Amino acid sequence: MKKPMKMMIGLLASAVLAAGCSSQSGNTPEGGVSRSETTTVSLWIIDDQLWIDGAVEDFNNAHDDIRIEVSKYGVDPLKEALKVAANSKTLPDMWFTWGGSLGSFYAENGLTADLTAIAAERNWSDKYNQAAIDMSTYGGKLSGIPYHLNAVDMWYAKDVYEQLKLTPPTSFEDFEGQLQTIQNNGIVPLALGGKNGWHLMRLTEQLIEYFGGAELHDKLSRLEASWNDPAVVQTFEKLKEYSDKGYFPKGHVAIDQAEAINMFYPSAAAMSVEGTWLDRNITAAGFDANNFGVFKFPTERSSVFAEMFQINADLDDAKLAAAITVGEYLTSIDVVNKYNDTYGTPATLNVAFSDNMPNVEPLLDMATKGGFLIMDQALPQEVVQKLFEAQDKVALDEWTPQQAAEAMEKAVNDYKGRS
Amino acid sequence: MRTSAYKPWLFILPALAIYLTVIFIPSAYTLYLSFFSWNGVAPDKKFVGLKNYAELLWNDTVFPKALMNNLIWTLGSLTLIMGIGLMLALMLNRKLKGRILFRGLFYFPYVLSGIIVATIWVWMYNPMQGFFNHALEWLGLENWTRAWLAEPKIALYAVFLAAIWNGVGQPMVLFLAGLQTIPQDPYEAAIIDGAKPSQQFRFITLPLLRETFIIVVAITMVSSMKVYDLIYAMTGGGPAESTHVLASWMYFQTFRFANIGIGSAISMFLILITMVVIIPYVYYTTKKSHV
Repeated sequence: MKKPMKMMIGLLASAVLAAGCSSQSGNTPEGGVSRSETTTVSLWIIDDQLWIDGAVEDFNNAHDDIRIEVSKYGVDPLKEALKVAANSKTLPDMWFTWGGSLGSFYAENGLTADLTAIAAERNWSDKYNQAAIDMSTYGGKLSGIPYHLNAVDMWYAKDVYEQLKLTPPTSFEDFEGQLQTIQNNGIVPLALGGKNGWHLMRLTEQLIEYFGGAELHDKLSRLEASWNDPAVVQTFEKLKEYSDKGYFPKGHVAIDQAEAINMFYPSAAAMSVEGTWLDRNITAAGFDANNFGVFKFPTERSSVFAEMFQINADLDDAKLAAAITVGEYLTSIDVVNKYNDTYGTPATLNVAFSDNMPNVEPLLDMATKGGFLIMDQALPQEVVQKLFEAQDKVALDEWTPQQAAEAMEKAVNDYKGRS
Repeated sequence: MRTSAYKPWLFILPALAIYLTVIFIPSAYTLYLSFFSWNGVAPDKKFVGLKNYAELLWNDTVFPKALMNNLIWTLGSLTLIMGIGLMLALMLNRKLKGRILFRGLFYFPYVLSGIIVATIWVWMYNPMQGFFNHALEWLGLENWTRAWLAEPKIALYAVFLAAIWNGVGQPMVLFLAGLQTIPQDPYEAAIIDGAKPSQQFRFITLPLLRETFIIVVAITMVSSMKVYDLIYAMTGGGPAESTHVLASWMYFQTFRFANIGIGSAISMFLILITMVVIIPYVYYTTKKSHV
């Protein structure tokens, strides 16, 4: 009896194996559409894009030939997951990315499809903001479908300002006076976290713009000027001063952006440095965006950056066409208008802004006076990491502002030496 | 006769194939990559010899700190995590009411993933809303409140406390299993001879737990050298790069900065340090073992 039993088990195992293998190739589901005729486009995106689920469901219901599969990540996890995927040649068909040195890595290493010809053919210059197209272009090649065009500047909680009888500052002295007034009243002046580095960096770059001016700021970003500059030292001195005076949340170097902004929403903090996406995040958190306002940090220019959908360079023609269809759909006027409460600031032209995003237009208006590329995209990532370290060490008294400027200069020189 | 000479090789061939594929070849490739400057995706790699190693030893400000943090973590694991695990195992090996419940309670944190543990403890350490500072204020110890994860001098130890909570269950269970294999006769004879509990522990329990110690020390040492998830999730290597360990700095170099060569060199250091400690230890202890 043992031998027949062993044979039966062997046959059963083989049948299960065969069934498992065959289920992955060309079964015909109910409804008669063969899975092999459906092109699946995989898309990686950050997890605060609340509109994506509805839009993808609409698309999948309306299309038999293309299906979108979405994977969501946090901000830093997505940056790292994409790098891991690039190294292991497992990039998805499409992915969300930021511009500058965050997105250029894929374009410069031939991992993204060149969309220049497609853009010309399909008149994308009539569909998308030219600044967003420019910021999605590397080495003369359009490397992504423009998605967002963001402007970053100062946000304030209106009820705190009303309570303290303040109005948005118009000068640097006014701004600093308000920081002290707010702090004296037991409210955190600036809801900024240093754990991620990039949140506090949004203030750092504004200070560099203020102390150094536009020309020096741009040269620093392009690594064409020395970081061991009095304007940079002054910037670090201000960060140290603000930290010592308690203008940031307690222990801010270990607090991430999510923890910091969670103080801002219920007005436990008076100000933050955020972008055109914050209205939708405020609404998603259950607060009213009309209770918050924006003002220009006392400099001419705003921090700006684009976000895009890049497409895998290894796709065959059919899949590339499907990905282009998906990308154009996700950035289409219809989708933007339908989900305009949660979409963010589109790079798409001629769209309607939601009444629930009262701060988007004022921020974009401020940016029309001029913009600089946000620093964590303008600089190489190793230099950015050194900037984050310098921000922390100045606040913690481990480096003087002068030492921080010197460390930045060394990091730039080391980077140039390795390139 | 010829067939019998090849037979042992036939038996170990499957395991050898897996070992070569999963462990040896990737390690050898990592060693190879450590001699190159490469971003992980470009078609060409630039041979730089030992430059990556020199860069880490002489120019990188984070690498020495990360190495020291790993050593601190290992020492802490071998003393505190193992020590507390042994203590809990000794307590739970007695006949006491609810010991099964207590075993479950003490083991439970071990089954949680590092990210969940980190999320819980980050909020407990939050300087304004966290449990620890609120508890200290309630006890009238406001002066003891801290920004636990924001001060470089204490951040690593704050993360390590979370690691103790998370990790103590594993040595506890292993020691418990070892204790339950020890017969009662030596203890009964010792009691008759007038041995105190401390003497019973020193002269009976510890020697008979030798095999368990070998396993627990080896596992603890290896785990401590490759710690990553708690550090990454709780501090991201900060504040000011002060809590980086080799694994987290290797991750940053490889996947944030796309310095595959330097990341590979860090992993080679990690392998070397682990081998320098583990190989003599296992050799010495297995020589002394009665197995």
